[in-house]
Amino acid sequence: MKYLFLDTSSFYINIAIISDEKIIYNRSVLNSPKLSESIFLLIEEAFHESNINTTDPGKIFIVNGPGSFTGVRVGVTIAKTMAWALKIPIVTLSTLELYATTEVEGKFLIPFIKDRNDYLYAGIYDNLLNNYMEDRFLHIDELSQKLSKSNQYVFVGYDEIDTAYEVIKPELNILKIIGKHLDDEIIDPHHVNPNYLKKIDAEINLEKKLNDSKDK
Amino acid sequence: MNSKYILAFETSCDETSVSIIKDGHTEIATVVLSQIDIHSKFGGVVPETASRAHIENITIVIEEVLEKANMKIEEIDAIAVTYGPGLIGSLLIGLVAAKTLAFIYNKPFVPVHHIAGHIYANNLVKPLEFPLIALVVSGGHTELILMEEDYSFKYIGGTVDDAVGEAYDKVARVLGLSYPGGPVIDKLAFTGKDTYDLPLPMDDTSFNFSFSGLKSAVINMAHNEKQRGNKINIENMATSFQNRVVEILTKKTMRALKKYDVTNLIVAGGVAANKGLRDRLTELCNENNINLLIPNINYCTDNAAMIGAAGYYAYKMGRRFDDILKAKPTDVLH
Repeated sequence: MKYLFLDTSSFYINIAIISDEKIIYNRSVLNSPKLSESIFLLIEEAFHESNINTTDPGKIFIVNGPGSFTGVRVGVTIAKTMAWALKIPIVTLSTLELYATTEVEGKFLIPFIKDRNDYLYAGIYDNLLNNYMEDRFLHIDELSQKLSKSNQYVFVGYDEIDTAYEVIKPELNILKIIGKHLDDEIIDPHHVNPNYLKKIDAEINLEKKLNDSKDK
Repeated sequence: MNSKYILAFETSCDETSVSIIKDGHTEIATVVLSQIDIHSKFGGVVPETASRAHIENITIVIEEVLEKANMKIEEIDAIAVTYGPGLIGSLLIGLVAAKTLAFIYNKPFVPVHHIAGHIYANNLVKPLEFPLIALVVSGGHTELILMEEDYSFKYIGGTVDDAVGEAYDKVARVLGLSYPGGPVIDKLAFTGKDTYDLPLPMDDTSFNFSFSGLKSAVINMAHNEKQRGNKINIENMATSFQNRVVEILTKKTMRALKKYDVTNLIVAGGVAANKGLRDRLTELCNENNINLLIPNINYCTDNAAMIGAAGYYAYKMGRRFDDILKAKPTDVLH
């Protein structure tokens, strides 16, 4: 069975082809705002180099956020369209959990992606990818309050961040995350969508307006 | 010659649409999923919300159209998609989904300009006769295009600021009417009188349009009336505004037909559904022996059927995406 792994959600585009639980192709290139212009060249290359047909994948692993809204959407659109057309299972993975595949001994991992105004996307995992704080969008102070003094933590991310804890860059282990989610419940591709974790301003403002008028 | 089937995608703004068109003129099946209910809450299209809705619906819409047509993707000859102009985040969903299918099934992948689609919506009603002039009027466009043969477009003129549909939306908002503004104002315009002294915008010898000044005039007038403690007569304002819009659109269109010695006129785009515009153009074309073609209302708004119709001719002419997949939010028709 051959699997396609695709991640266009954040700083790097990661494409891998897995055959019989071994990685037979793996490429990581810097993501850019011109992702849509390059992504199919990269996918074509992946299929070509690993000598498989476009109809060969038996399962798709797609990283569906959090991260760049456009980046996540490009990857998820490809994955859900492909899974639907080929009638194959699709599994969604968290960008933050993917960061948490980085090998760290005896510490909790806090994978993160920085947003504006000291807000970030973050979760808390251990090195077996067990989750201790669900991925969420929060202020860095709010995150600090959630951390226990008796535990050791390491932040895992590409951004610079102002914290007393150690900060390391992700070293992705694709087999580790795929192994963890190999038997995840099968989702209908129609229902596979980005996990933005953040509402858009227009919606927040509208809700505020509706609530205010309710109060009156 | 065997029939050619085009699977077409249109997601340039707030409609997720996929269609299958035979030979550029026969609609096999079309599905249009409008987001209008989502955006009306905001009083206009929110780009990020639009992209979010497109991605949620895209595969559902593809599946529905294939079921409706009782066809498989393998039976399709080419895949066509709107590459621009439009909202980048919205365009990308259609582009990427269409490209994914073209990639998996190794189908020719054809780029279609949104305006070419609006023009070719008419081909689904009656074969286009050349030369022709197309008046394209929508929420994003106001253009006069000369076509001497299939899939050849010459830009004669267009708006220098707001598109006509955009002006309708903004005026509707000032008058406290709902979004989208076009249909509401059009309806009210038939009940009011032309009492407000609004200017005829950009009434010059060019084929360009400007609606921003007219819109400001409405805003100022509404503001002044309010200052004086007078209530604005919404019906009369709708009539006055629509009369100016229709007058300038028809005036320049009729002049373009004369200048280029063309007797075929087609109207395309969402504002082609405007009854005031349809009635006046019908009248003028009858008087001047012009063949007027206006598509059915369901083809006036954004839909993939029109992209499939235009896509067939683009496909026949050998238009293809090169390897890179580029959405062009502001590309001009060529």
